[in-house]
Amino acid sequence: MFDRIREIIADQTGKNADDITMETNVKTELEADSLDIFQIINDIEDEFDVKIENLEAIQTVGDVVKIVEENKN
Amino acid sequence: MYLDICDLLSIQYPIIQGAMAWISDAGLVSAVSEAGGLGVLATGHIDAEGCIKAIKEIRERTNKPFAVNIMLLSQQADSIVKAVCEQKVPVVTTGAGSPGKYIKMFKESNIKVLPVAPSVAIAKRMEKDGADAVIAEGCESGGHIGKITTMALVPQVVDAVNLPVIAAGGIADGRGMAAARMLGASGFQIGTRFIVAKECSVHQNYKNRIIKAKDIDTTTTGASTGHPVRVIKNKLTRKFDELEKNNASAEELDALGRGALRKAVTDGDIENGSVMSGQIAGLVNKEQTAEEIIKELFEQYKNIICNIKI
Repeated sequence: MFDRIREIIADQTGKNADDITMETNVKTELEADSLDIFQIINDIEDEFDVKIENLEAIQTVGDVVKIVEENKN
Repeated sequence: MYLDICDLLSIQYPIIQGAMAWISDAGLVSAVSEAGGLGVLATGHIDAEGCIKAIKEIRERTNKPFAVNIMLLSQQADSIVKAVCEQKVPVVTTGAGSPGKYIKMFKESNIKVLPVAPSVAIAKRMEKDGADAVIAEGCESGGHIGKITTMALVPQVVDAVNLPVIAAGGIADGRGMAAARMLGASGFQIGTRFIVAKECSVHQNYKNRIIKAKDIDTTTTGASTGHPVRVIKNKLTRKFDELEKNNASAEELDALGRGALRKAVTDGDIENGSVMSGQIAGLVNKEQTAEEIIKELFEQYKNIICNIKI
């Protein structure tokens, strides 16, 4: 799951997927604006058929992975 | 999805006045609503107490529906949401984020929710969060803007969501409304033209600057901070340009922008203040009452729609 999420983020931000880790800060390290963030969340929601709530609480890629895992279960 | 926005909002004309901080106060909002459109109170510059006072003032002047706009990034958002729910305003429009966490409160108070969506992904998010319609706002708009033009954004949002879509950005006459209708919009949000409404209390210098504006007179500032703002070019925007060219910090840019809108709106300082305006200002050339504006907009729109030839 992490690999696919990483691909989605890399695709939207133009970053190299290998440079994205669980610790990467979504807001400060990806140079992503709010339009990019909403697009990434939308793509992840569609891919994994989940709804990601409380966007304000998301800091790192690991936070996103955790939310998706919890929602899938 | 096309749905008559007039039915959804219980208004006479599908015309929504864009919320403009410091500008759309109780006087303008009640005039637009009384004329059959949807007046929208801006709250980005007031607290919950000021919001309740304005709501009461609007209700003293009209018994027609109106809306309150909530800037979700504002520190006052929680208290403003509580106030609009207690006051049971009929409609809210929201900007700068998702109203998701407030939707339950709005629905319990029977409030229709119309969030601004500057992209397809945000529009889809708003639909999942329970919005009643979305406002697809192109970057021709004044004030805080996204990156996509109305012409490109509206049809893509219309295709992506199963909600009525209100087009915003670059609309100031019946031709713009007809064009947006052809793109699939059910309603039209108009800001800049209402700045020059006779009932609008903005400083006369601000109104005159809108009336004098040409097509090329607006620019955007603050793009480097991720929060671009469309304004009319003046001394202030040249200072912004200089700072941004020199890679100034977000704090320096914020400091330059602080209080600038009020300076233009209430003091009439249109050289050093922030004269927020859409690109369509060049088309706005006279002061009229809100009623005259709405009737003229709708008559022109109706004539175009009823006489389309291919």
